[in-house]
Amino acid sequence: MKHRQRHIIATVAVAAAAALTLAGCSGGGSSASFEANTPKELSGTVSFWHFFSDREAKVIQSVVDDFEKKNPKIKVEVHSGQDDEKLQKAIATGSKVDVGLSYSTDIVGNFCSNGAFRSLNKVIERDGVDMSQFSDTVKSYTEFKGTRCAMPMLADVYGLYYNKDLLSAAGFTAPPKTLSELETMADKLTTFNPDGSIKTLGFNPTMGWYENAAAHYGPAAGADWLKSDGTSAISSSTGWTELMEWQKAYVDKIGWDKLNTFTSGLGQEFSADNAFQTGQVAMNMDGEYRTAFIADQAKKLNYGTAPFPTADDHTELYGGGYMTGNIIGISKGSKNPELAWALLKYLTTDTDAVVKLANGLKNVPTTKDALNSPKLEVSDQYKTFLDVASSPNVATTPASPLGAGYQQSFQDFWNKYQSQGGDLQAGLKNVDKQINDALALTTGP
Amino acid sequence: MTSTAIREGRAARVRPSRARTKRKLVTLALLTPALLGLVIFFVYPLIASVYYSFTRFDLVSSPQWIGLRNYQYLFTQDPNVWQATLNTLWFVVIWVPVKVAFALLIAGLLARAKRASGFWRTLFYLPALVPPVASVVAFVFLFNPGTGPVNQVLKFFGIQGPLWFNDPAWSKPSLVLLGVWVMGDIMIIFLAALLDVSKEQYEAASLDGANGLQKVRYVTMPSIAPVLLFSVVTGVIAAIQYFTEAAVASGVASGKAVIGEGISNNLGYPDGSLLTYTQWLYVRGFGTYQLGYASALAVLLFVVAAVILILLLRRFKAFTPEGAQ
Amino acid sequence: MTSATLTKPPAAPAKRQGRIPTPRSLRSRRVLAWIAEHIVLVALGILFAAPIVFVFLTSLMSSEQTLTASIWPQPFQWDNYVKVFTTVPLLQWFGNSALYAILATVFMLVSSVPAAYALAKIKFRGSGALFTVIIIAMLLPPQVTAIPIYVMWSQLNLTGTLWPLILPNLLGDAFSIFLLRQFFLTIPSEYADAARIDGNGEFGVLWRVVLPMAKPGIAATAIFMFFNSWNDYYGPLLYTSENPAAWPVAYGLASFRGVHGTDWGLTMAMTMLVTIPVVLIFFFAQRVFVEGITLTGVKG
Repeated sequence: MKHRQRHIIATVAVAAAAALTLAGCSGGGSSASFEANTPKELSGTVSFWHFFSDREAKVIQSVVDDFEKKNPKIKVEVHSGQDDEKLQKAIATGSKVDVGLSYSTDIVGNFCSNGAFRSLNKVIERDGVDMSQFSDTVKSYTEFKGTRCAMPMLADVYGLYYNKDLLSAAGFTAPPKTLSELETMADKLTTFNPDGSIKTLGFNPTMGWYENAAAHYGPAAGADWLKSDGTSAISSSTGWTELMEWQKAYVDKIGWDKLNTFTSGLGQEFSADNAFQTGQVAMNMDGEYRTAFIADQAKKLNYGTAPFPTADDHTELYGGGYMTGNIIGISKGSKNPELAWALLKYLTTDTDAVVKLANGLKNVPTTKDALNSPKLEVSDQYKTFLDVASSPNVATTPASPLGAGYQQSFQDFWNKYQSQGGDLQAGLKNVDKQINDALALTTGP
Repeated sequence: MTSTAIREGRAARVRPSRARTKRKLVTLALLTPALLGLVIFFVYPLIASVYYSFTRFDLVSSPQWIGLRNYQYLFTQDPNVWQATLNTLWFVVIWVPVKVAFALLIAGLLARAKRASGFWRTLFYLPALVPPVASVVAFVFLFNPGTGPVNQVLKFFGIQGPLWFNDPAWSKPSLVLLGVWVMGDIMIIFLAALLDVSKEQYEAASLDGANGLQKVRYVTMPSIAPVLLFSVVTGVIAAIQYFTEAAVASGVASGKAVIGEGISNNLGYPDGSLLTYTQWLYVRGFGTYQLGYASALAVLLFVVAAVILILLLRRFKAFTPEGAQ
Repeated sequence: MTSATLTKPPAAPAKRQGRIPTPRSLRSRRVLAWIAEHIVLVALGILFAAPIVFVFLTSLMSSEQTLTASIWPQPFQWDNYVKVFTTVPLLQWFGNSALYAILATVFMLVSSVPAAYALAKIKFRGSGALFTVIIIAMLLPPQVTAIPIYVMWSQLNLTGTLWPLILPNLLGDAFSIFLLRQFFLTIPSEYADAARIDGNGEFGVLWRVVLPMAKPGIAATAIFMFFNSWNDYYGPLLYTSENPAAWPVAYGLASFRGVHGTDWGLTMAMTMLVTIPVVLIFFFAQRVFVEGITLTGVKG
């Protein structure tokens, strides 16, 4: 008996010791740091991780090729199709990533706080990068509490897409400017099948479908997400209540079951069967990149774009909209920070590069030079978004150590509320509590 | 085994140390890989998980000790953990029995069929061979409320089909239907067990005056009890871990493209009804990189799983080393 | 496991206890029962075969048609099956799955067979406790131990590959050890004892006597391991998601439908392609397979 017990105790002790030693280590290999002076000669291999794929990845590749031509001694290893989850995993577990490009600003708060993306403040100063070429909005979502750990690389701006043919067939000549107008016009544009189910929809208010997210609707009523101390402002900002009440009433008017059945049968967002591109939905909230998809997949579509309608009592906000962007940074474990910085600078500040990216991806350029460049291809539909980007009413989602967590909490509630209803104010206060609790767990004592 | 055994026994006693040491070494050699495996992949991670559960750890920086904070959040503030737990328990309590019962039913029918039983057996077993991801993707497509064949066929009979994977009330039952479709692996074992019950026992029971139902109760059931237990236990384990089918179903049904959105954004669609405990753990760990908190979730899972399984196994002692022989 | 041994227990006299009914009513009752059972079987059979039929039909549709309510392809797009191979690196995915499944199975056999044998056939102190620990390890949800193991592999720089899923099998697999042990228990000890008396060491006993007798059980365990590895989604999700070159087929299928905006025709074609190797292996290994499952399951 004693013999067996001793063996067991010994095994457990060894395992425990090993566990605690190993557990105390963090991931990531050794890394190099920036140099004191701008290096003259740069050579080596740098790895670049981004989330684009297919057609869009080709655009990135062509700009990377240009960089390699300008810097013949540098080779760039591109990894496409890496979303935030994969990017963070790769950064945290070693030195595989030098430069990382994320499709949204959500990780900035997180990555700046824990150092997953390095602080760039010093090299920006060292190399004299002119930060005034970026608008305040894009600067705000690439830094957190004074640490700038990312640079903006093209922005996404959201607005209203409308099918000109369908609208004129119903007797409309101009897009709606307020939510009430939107609803009235959409009612006329909706058609039904003989059995009563929806055939085409004027506007799909279903939350969670395609680009219908709380963040994209917020600017329509001037709704705030966080207070200046980082805690939740959801229940205190009246804009949210307005928007939710409008959306719920609209959903109830159509009928949730009918709407859900119709929505479930629609095509995938980024395929050629996108519901707006096929004409199944006449008006839709979407980003400026949709113009590129339409040019590629639905050339015959006769469509127009406009700033998204505002809430009825917030008409002064018209012309604005939601803006977010791709952000790009240098990973903590990078062994070639100087090479990474050279690539980063090129992609974000070299006017030709920015214009080429903007033209290919149909994303909004983020530097003033690029915005004013004659080489920038601006179609009528695309121009709307450039205007929205420079509007004083454009808004974004604030950076937070929770990443997109606070948006997810609110979105979950809104998704449930649209089908189940309930006490709105109590629900909003509950969302506040969830966000604040999560914040305390992540950063608190 | 008489004189040779005695002779061997005497020999062993005469040189006890050499023979026994050799045997011990050989046994150790046979067991070493498995022992190492247990320590590295079971004992160590279990202890490490417990350690991590008391820290704040995002994989980028070193773990930071925060005591019971994670557990406090888990039990009082986490908005999703209760729904995740209830969803998982739903699978344990409903998905497992339905699958097992159905498998038993089919096996019973097959046991009585004489002709072409091989054909039937293959037909009902085949779906179990389809890789789970493939079968989920197929089912979500087939059960699409608007355009899927299932609702089309129902419409033909005048029935308005539900929204299946897009309706929070029907999403879990839809997965139960999937579970029933792939019950072939359990059915095969039941079939073998049923066929194993000797004819004589049935005849003896008839002579004793037992009717059909009584025969099932007193002859069939006891004979297949070990197999029944095996199926229930493996079913419960699978239900506690239920991840793939629910996660993939949510992703496909919600219609969101994967690029730019990981598992976290479709979580539990619709309305969190398919959010299982292990998905929540995965998202907290590898979606938002709160590995300390995810470890707390893991420790809780271990405790609950251990309790459920100990209760199950205690009831049926056949599984302990002594009883299994 | 053949179908020749299927017997039907004699029908029971329902109402009159202790009296055997007349042959005529017995026969007609039997016929009715046969008809009823077969109606149910046919109905269920149709329901069970239907999904596969629908998937096959959908795999022959164009992408536009899959979004409509039609069930019959018009026209038949056989080239969907060719397109799958050019749209995604399906052959590479199959290669990854094969590598993972084969190596995992081989490694498992090398490490688990000896351990199971020791647990089943050798009396040593602590064997009961060890078996209990193995059962617990087998029943444990993998998510419980996932995080520290992941951290460990990341420090060894092996994330982004399939090795974290393959290598641990060199140190045994709890479920396989359990199955093998149960199977070894069914082999009478007399054979092993006789071999020992003949002067064989334990290795000799295992290799020369026990293993040949245990072939069905070992084969069945190997097949279980193979299929579990082939169908594994969670493991590759955790370890290979960021490296498309390492994706096995199960993970590739789930991510395929996302990236390409779900061309359902292609997706269903891929579903069929992914299932076919598994079905083929089953048909060839059927006897061994079913025999092994039933033997380990029934005795378990």
